[in-house]
Amino acid sequence: MLELQGVRHAYGGRAVLDVDALAIGRDERLAVVGPNGSGKSTLLRLLAFLEAPTAGTVRLDGEAVRSDRARRAARRRVTLVEQRPYLFRGTVRENVAFGLRARGAPAAEAARRADEALAELKARSLSGRDARALSEGEIQRVALARALAMEPAALLLDEPVSGADRAAQHALAAALAEVQARRPLAVVVVSHLLENAYRWADRLLALHEGRPSAVSPENLFRVDLQGGAPMQRVSLGPVAVEVVTDKGGPATLAIPPDEIVLSTEPLHSSARNVIHGRIVRVAEHGAAVRVTIDAGVELVALITRKSFEEMGLAVGGSAYASFKSVAVRVF
Amino acid sequence: MTWPLGEVALIAALSLKVALTATAVACALGIPLGFWLGGTKFAGRRGLLLVLNTALAFPTVVVGLLVYLLLSRHGPLGGLGLLFTWQAIVIAEVILALPIAAALTAAAVQAVDPRVRRTALTLGAGPLRTAWAVAREARFAIAAAVVVSFGRVLSEVGAAIIVGGNIRHQTRTLTTAVTLATSQGNFELAEALGLVLLALALTVNVLIQLFQGRGDA
Repeated sequence: MLELQGVRHAYGGRAVLDVDALAIGRDERLAVVGPNGSGKSTLLRLLAFLEAPTAGTVRLDGEAVRSDRARRAARRRVTLVEQRPYLFRGTVRENVAFGLRARGAPAAEAARRADEALAELKARSLSGRDARALSEGEIQRVALARALAMEPAALLLDEPVSGADRAAQHALAAALAEVQARRPLAVVVVSHLLENAYRWADRLLALHEGRPSAVSPENLFRVDLQGGAPMQRVSLGPVAVEVVTDKGGPATLAIPPDEIVLSTEPLHSSARNVIHGRIVRVAEHGAAVRVTIDAGVELVALITRKSFEEMGLAVGGSAYASFKSVAVRVF
Repeated sequence: MTWPLGEVALIAALSLKVALTATAVACALGIPLGFWLGGTKFAGRRGLLLVLNTALAFPTVVVGLLVYLLLSRHGPLGGLGLLFTWQAIVIAEVILALPIAAALTAAAVQAVDPRVRRTALTLGAGPLRTAWAVAREARFAIAAAVVVSFGRVLSEVGAAIIVGGNIRHQTRTLTTAVTLATSQGNFELAEALGLVLLALALTVNVLIQLFQGRGDA
């Protein structure tokens, strides 16, 4: 229902987003991941029709949205919840009713539907409270109720769980699941934490310097980096891998499955990481095969069916997974 | 020499009428202008804001002179016959108060969290409702713009004398009356009129504050 085609966006001549094609289905959950400054929030603002792209087209239900007028109409169907949502002065109920009032709903009906939306997020008791006197988790919940009250066709969430407590996170996830069970709702979640994104979404888009980059939800590892050196050896449980990053502290490593080479013997190559394990699962994906190797941690490799057959790989057999240090992405 | 109470009441009433009318007109024009300047990005905006901020320091006698020349019999608007009427004072005061209303509103709107506008837009609000949402968040600062405009108009004397002429029962306001009493050496009367002026200012500000307080509840 939402599509980007050849979209480029720049601020003051500096390119911040460059997406050739992106399509989001009417009840899909897409997570957008990437480090700060990778263009995630810009992408959300374009999808939310708050800005027009410098070049390219954003489509809603197949229709190109080009004019200010068309964007205004599109904003009635797509809504964005910011990372730090803003609640207007007034009560929580008034806040949740805002979008409904903007759509011409009479005050009484808007108030009733606002209370229903709050109830869905287990926040009905907040209804009469001053919106300026809420905790971060409550603000997040109220902002989500405010967005869902309008029954949008697409909901865009910027870092929805940052700052929210565990109860709020569960309420958020449950409310989305419930709405999606009832009616089609496309959800786009932006997160700098891969784990969060993975939990929320059924498809992942990784952005790196404004461009989509190849990362799938597999082979994600939460690690603590030492920092200080351009090449670091990082332990993933019983195995260690070499990565190229000068970052330090908590980070997520992603090893793209299509960057992993499988072999039956150890390879002598430029790949710095060679991990031995046993094949535990094999899943076919058209001309490709997704092979899961247990080496103390599970690694997924994507190889062609032809290679798979030629090497005679099978569940229970042994295999070496090789990948270059530069192929390991660090978030 | 003292003036009869009825005369002082008449002068105070005229002062209030002039100040309220001029403030209303200046705010009706200045607040939307400030909104536009504070909330819209366009080429030349900074230049316009500079002009506006300079206009804050307009010498009142210069504005008085300008309006005098406009309204005098041979001036471009001489045909209206407004010179030495209370409406002429209103015109001059509007010119003085409008930049205050506009510049303070522009600053108020610029200070509003940018998320307010984005949030209103993404919730499907049109331009008017979005502006209203921004105004609600900035309402104390905008109320301050009204109060300062009113203060400027109520206390102004230079332009009021030049274009009003300080004509008894017609264009004599509290400030011009104070000037007259002082020039006549009647300091007791000048002080008394000054106190009436202060009381008026206090009353109007208390009323505005009460109104604000209710809005915040």
